[in-house]
Amino acid sequence: MFQPLNPLLHSELRLAVMSLLVSAEEAEFPYIKEQTGATAGNLSVQLDKLSEAGYISVEKTFKGKRPCTICRITPAGLKAFEEYIEALKSYLNIGK
Amino acid sequence: MEENENMTAERSLEIIRESIEQSRRAMTKYSGMPMIWWGGLVVVFAVLIAYLWKNHGGPVWNVLWFVMALIGMVGDKLMEKRRESVPKNIIGSVISKVWATFGIFCCGLGFITCLAGFGVLSFKSLTSVSGCFIPITSIITFALGMASTTTGLILKNRVVSICSIIAGIGGFFLALCYPGGEQLLVMAAVAIIGLVIPGIIVNIQTRK
Repeated sequence: MFQPLNPLLHSELRLAVMSLLVSAEEAEFPYIKEQTGATAGNLSVQLDKLSEAGYISVEKTFKGKRPCTICRITPAGLKAFEEYIEALKSYLNIGK
Repeated sequence: MEENENMTAERSLEIIRESIEQSRRAMTKYSGMPMIWWGGLVVVFAVLIAYLWKNHGGPVWNVLWFVMALIGMVGDKLMEKRRESVPKNIIGSVISKVWATFGIFCCGLGFITCLAGFGVLSFKSLTSVSGCFIPITSIITFALGMASTTTGLILKNRVVSICSIIAGIGGFFLALCYPGGEQLLVMAAVAIIGLVIPGIIVNIQTRK
C-alpha cells in the first residue's frame, strides 16, 4: 500500500533545500542557491512556502554591512522530512 | 534545479542523496586550512624558541607560545571572514570544541609552568614522586596527537588519523628523550606530521 507523499516536499527544489538543511545547523541563502543551482527568485519563493508551512525558519540579518538570510530546519520540518522518507520507502518496496 | 512536482520515488531519493553528499563535501572543504595555519605557526615558533632558548637566555622564551596563541586566533578570525559561506553543522562544531579544549588545557598547563618557572608557584607542585619535572612538551605533544586523531576520525579521514597517531605517540617519547631546547624541534616535527601534512591532504581531497 503506497503512503501519500507530502506535496510540499515532493518538489525537486524544496526537497533539495530540506535535504541540505537536514545535515546543517543553519545555512545562508547564497550557499543554498549555489548548491541547488536555482535562481534567486525561484529559491526565495520556495523558501517562503517552506517557511509558511513551518518547516524552516528564515532569519534576515546582517553580516557586517551586507544583508544575510539564514535558514534553519525546524522540528516540524525534520518530522515532515522523516515522514516523507518513510512514505518513499513504500514506493521503493524497501519498507518493513 | 526547478520546481518539478512529478518526480519518481527514485528521483526523490537521488536528490536527497546528492544534496546530503554536496553538503558533506562543502562542510569539509576548508577543514584543512586551520590545521595548516596552526601547524605552520607551531613549526615557526618552536624553531624560533629553540634557537632563543639555546643562544639567548634559556627557557624563559617559552612565553612566546602565548604570543603564538594570540596570532593564531587573530589569523583564524581573518580566515573565517574571508572564506565563502559554509553552513554550520555538527561536524564543524565538534571539531571546533575538540581544538578549543586542547587550547584551553595547553594554555592552562603552560601558564602554570610559567608561574613555576618565575618562582610564583612552589617548585614542589611541579615535581613528580621521583622528583622529575612535568614533561610539558611530551604532554602537549600527546594531547595534540589526540585532538588531531579525533579530528581525523570525525572527518572519516584515515590518513589524518594515522599521521596524528604517529605524531602524538612518537612525539611523546621523543620529547622525553630530548630534554631542553631540542625537544622543541620534536614539537616542530610533530606539528608537520600531525597538522601540516594532514591539512594539505584534507585540502587536496576536498577540492576534488
